[in-house]
Amino acid sequence: MALQSIWTGTITFSLVAIPVRLVKAVRPDRISFRMLHAKDYSPLIRAFYCPDEDRMVPPGEIVRGYEVGPEQYIEVTEDELDSVSPERSRTIEIMDFVDVSDVDPLYYDRPYYLAPGRGGEKAYGLLVQVMLRTNRGGIAKFVLGEREHLVLLRVSGAALSLVTLHYSDEVVPAAETVPEEKEEGGVEEEKDRMARTIRRMEARFDPARYRDDRRRKIMALLGRKEEVEAPVEAPTSFEDTQEGPGDLVAVLQESVRKLKGVR
Amino acid sequence: MVSRALWKGQIHFGDFDVPVKLHTAVREQRIQFHLLHSRDHVRLRQHMLCAYEKVPVPREEQVRGFEVGEGRYIIVDDDELERLEPEGNRTIEIHDFVRGGQIDPLYFDRVYYLAPDVMLRGYRALAEALGETGMEGICTWTMRKRSYLGSLAAKGKAMRLITLRHADEVIDAGSLDLPVTGLSDRELEAGVNLVAALSAPFQPEKFENDHQKKLRELIDRKAAGEKISILRPRQRRATPPDRLLETLEASLKKAV
Repeated sequence: MALQSIWTGTITFSLVAIPVRLVKAVRPDRISFRMLHAKDYSPLIRAFYCPDEDRMVPPGEIVRGYEVGPEQYIEVTEDELDSVSPERSRTIEIMDFVDVSDVDPLYYDRPYYLAPGRGGEKAYGLLVQVMLRTNRGGIAKFVLGEREHLVLLRVSGAALSLVTLHYSDEVVPAAETVPEEKEEGGVEEEKDRMARTIRRMEARFDPARYRDDRRRKIMALLGRKEEVEAPVEAPTSFEDTQEGPGDLVAVLQESVRKLKGVR
Repeated sequence: MVSRALWKGQIHFGDFDVPVKLHTAVREQRIQFHLLHSRDHVRLRQHMLCAYEKVPVPREEQVRGFEVGEGRYIIVDDDELERLEPEGNRTIEIHDFVRGGQIDPLYFDRVYYLAPDVMLRGYRALAEALGETGMEGICTWTMRKRSYLGSLAAKGKAMRLITLRHADEVIDAGSLDLPVTGLSDRELEAGVNLVAALSAPFQPEKFENDHQKKLRELIDRKAAGEKISILRPRQRRATPPDRLLETLEASLKKAV
């Protein structure tokens, strides 16, 4: 299964330029329900409605706006967004290489993968190898949709991952929550007992061991229900109406995804 | 200024209980956009539409279905889902301890600061024990009707909780189908040298979100009726594979 590209552009550092595609690294593991009409179980689709004209708005008529006052918006187009930092909307320029263990996980926001674009395979492979050997990652800025992200490029498995980082003014200083030490005597003995228990409980990290409880419970509920009640049926299948609404859904979702930027 | 605690509970492992409070570690400040109708700039609302008849369906006529086959659904209502919500018992249960640095950051979701609740002693002892052993506690807890998987780690005298994604939420790097590329020793060496020359300590304060300011300025100018000139992004030409070594060496010369 090929992963869909969210963005295509170029990684640069000094004179080297590597074409890449940005793809997802995580997918929220929600069980996807479909909203249906209670009357006849027709599937429902999300659409946009203009309250002034009292009608549904086709995707071509949806634009992005910034609120400047009550009910007052300034429209901002894709081209205008690109113009804010044109050099960063197609290029991930690595400014510094840093020791990846120096980047506090506090800064990590969302992870993605980068895959090599056509002709970039060799330089991509080189960057992966070099980062692995030096334990370094690249710090860069790049624009995706409405935002300019500070990012860390690093190696995950044999691939380059791109993690968006929080800006330092978004991170709350730790001193705000941990009180300064008061005179309370040593905790040496308790610490030693805890350390012994910690060592006894040592294991390797195996994420597959910790199942998502909610997902398991929902799947069990669905299984139980399917045994006792027959599934309901939608009036017509999607194939019959492919010409109309089927396409509209895809186009709408695509245009909204573009407008909202990729989170 | 002390921020308000989001949640209180106790960390439990072996025969220890350490009462803690959770605080938010990140506060995002981002420009928000809305979707408008291009003709009249009225803010759009989302509606659910019947896929066949294209008519709006009011909320009370909507039901949730899980597709079990082509056009066949099992209906699930809100009460049934609510009954599946976990019972909160205010315990952060540690199941295992793992060596620090073992968790691929792709699993990291959100970070919370932990502060001691009621007593400081147990908190300090645990922070020191984690620091001394270099371990992190893999734990689960229930907060706001959701169950979480997380990692408890010390940073200096303080502790933090990072929520982790579940295994099936992280896409394996193998699905990228990366090609295997042959690299010469000289290319690798030149690459390592270049990365060393371009290295610096990580200083997050160095990087400001100047884009957000520029975007605000653009909006202000537009609001004042100014015309915005469009600048086209340019794409850099890829370094050809047969000139990789040459480019790395030229870069290195430039860097030192």
